Amino acid sequence: MKAKRKNIAVYILLFLFAAVFLAPIFIILLNSVKTNFYISEEPFSIPTGEAYAGFKNFVKGFTQSDFSKAFANSLIITVFSVAGIVLLTSMGAWYIVRIKNRFTKVIYYLFVFSMIVPFQMVMYTVTYLVFELKLNNLPGIILTYLGFGSGLSVFMFSGFIKSIPTEIEEAATIDGCSPLRTFFLIVFPILKPTAITVAILNSMWIWNDYLLPYLILGSGKNRTLPVAVQMALTGGYGNKDMGALMAMLVLAILPIIIFYLFCQKYIIKGVVAGAVKG
Amino acid sequence: MATIKFRNVVKSFDNGKVTVIPDLCLEIEDKEFIVLVGPSGCGKSTTLRMIAGLEEITSGELYIDDRKVNDVAPKDRDIAMVFQSYALYPHMSVYKNMAFALKLKKMSKEEIDKKVRWAAKILDIEPYLDRKPRALSGGQRQRVALGRAMVRNPKVFLLDEPLSNLDAKLRTEMRSQITSLHQKLKTTFVYVTHDQTEALTMATRIVVMDKGVIRQVDTPQALYNKPANMFVAGFIGSPAMNFFEGRVAGGKIRFSKYEFDIPDSKKTVLLSYEGKDIVIGIRPEHFTECADAKPKKNTCIMTVETEISEMTGSEANIYFTLNGKRYIASIKTSRKICIGDIVYLSFSNSDVHFFDKTTTNAIR
Repeated sequence: MKAKRKNIAVYILLFLFAAVFLAPIFIILLNSVKTNFYISEEPFSIPTGEAYAGFKNFVKGFTQSDFSKAFANSLIITVFSVAGIVLLTSMGAWYIVRIKNRFTKVIYYLFVFSMIVPFQMVMYTVTYLVFELKLNNLPGIILTYLGFGSGLSVFMFSGFIKSIPTEIEEAATIDGCSPLRTFFLIVFPILKPTAITVAILNSMWIWNDYLLPYLILGSGKNRTLPVAVQMALTGGYGNKDMGALMAMLVLAILPIIIFYLFCQKYIIKGVVAGAVKG
Repeated sequence: MATIKFRNVVKSFDNGKVTVIPDLCLEIEDKEFIVLVGPSGCGKSTTLRMIAGLEEITSGELYIDDRKVNDVAPKDRDIAMVFQSYALYPHMSVYKNMAFALKLKKMSKEEIDKKVRWAAKILDIEPYLDRKPRALSGGQRQRVALGRAMVRNPKVFLLDEPLSNLDAKLRTEMRSQITSLHQKLKTTFVYVTHDQTEALTMATRIVVMDKGVIRQVDTPQALYNKPANMFVAGFIGSPAMNFFEGRVAGGKIRFSKYEFDIPDSKKTVLLSYEGKDIVIGIRPEHFTECADAKPKKNTCIMTVETEISEMTGSEANIYFTLNGKRYIASIKTSRKICIGDIVYLSFSNSDVHFFDKTTTNAIR
């Protein structure tokens, strides 16, 4: 009985925590379908009657600002960066795990070390280098993300690859696979849960990243969604269309939430994979 | 036709710092079922992996069918390998696992299908062709691994401890299945195991290895009856052979407080050891229980005190100590032998093996 009561208390506490974390998203959702007057007057009320704006805010947000351009930029950067990170780091991790020598050991520790270096520490030097190499464009930022995303990704892939018996790859070699074929036909399909986890984690980070795109791409034609949203929030003098802004925010977080929900069953698999012997 | 020849093959690791195989010379005949056996770390798996091309040869020459294969890629050696951990591709169905190598060879779909179904029928895995490996039991997985090797119709089958992950019952079942497979396919099989029962029951010839060196190559019967040295004598047979320290004195063999006549077949050679120490080997199953200690011709009778008694059905394993060393006798008995019981154990001098104490080689 005592344990049951304790459980109920824990559940209530967890529910409260969840509510606190979800509240901002809920408020944005509420206000995205509210007229501007009611957003400032009653930001926490349920939109009914004349407060309800339907999808007008979404149409305004999408058409008035350069939302579609920023959305496309974010999409291109995220898709290509994540694809590059997943492909290259999985190949790199496979090499690091399977070829054991001093060089791969050093490389592995460099990747791990890169995980603990705060972005703020290197952001000025990286930005300087990017501008010097004329990489302050979409392909340039994709290349930069490849560098920033590889530490954690190599670490995660390495952990999983260690749990794959080498005999599977040897069997493939005997069956007639070259190293490249062994990777793409045998190793990579086995890495699927980890690859999806790496893809989700990197997608969330890259899609939502504000600082790096702002430093490299600025607020010009190549600006990404977070930069565009931030500009819409702070730009202009006095008269801000909060409804359109809320709708923009919803549209900005929607793709990543859909992607997450679609792949979330793999996240646990990918994180746990390699931790225990199967 | 698939013979395998090792000519002075050396295998070292860590830039020559660790030599696992110092100098291997071995000829495997066509259609033989060769079993490489030995304790862990004796180099048997390395030898197999060198045949497969998964390990580079440091020096020496390896031939498959008179073709030097030192630098030939595994896929071009016309071999198939079955691994201890099955090594099935987990993301592919049983059918795709078996068809994979054929697909890479760009065989037609019809031909692939024919071969896969032929192997599946022989191995009785037809109902599981659409399943993924994780949905199969250990025995079924092992059969899929065998099937994957079979469809390639290789010149040489390499099997690396394929039964060691199975339970005892399944192991016995699979053992006979592999033997009949060898008879059906009429191909050269090279099989690695540390289990001497597997070696003795399956092999046409057994290669006993120790520290990368071949200690004896012979038929199972010859290894059991005429071991070339103490290592082979101790390794083949279960429970292991007992070794007593003895001496040739006055035309007799003496050990501890016992003595027996030199068997006629070994008289000439053993008499040259007159006055010298030798090692006497007696297999536990060559002991029989006697009613008393009355001496008999060509027989030695030992009086021992039972320290441990293990009933194994029709037999009992009796453990006893002599001169501070523990020995074992497997005797056929229907009575219960208890700890502390005095047992009279006899053995015939014709069943005794004699070894040179210095070289550990058999005295023949």
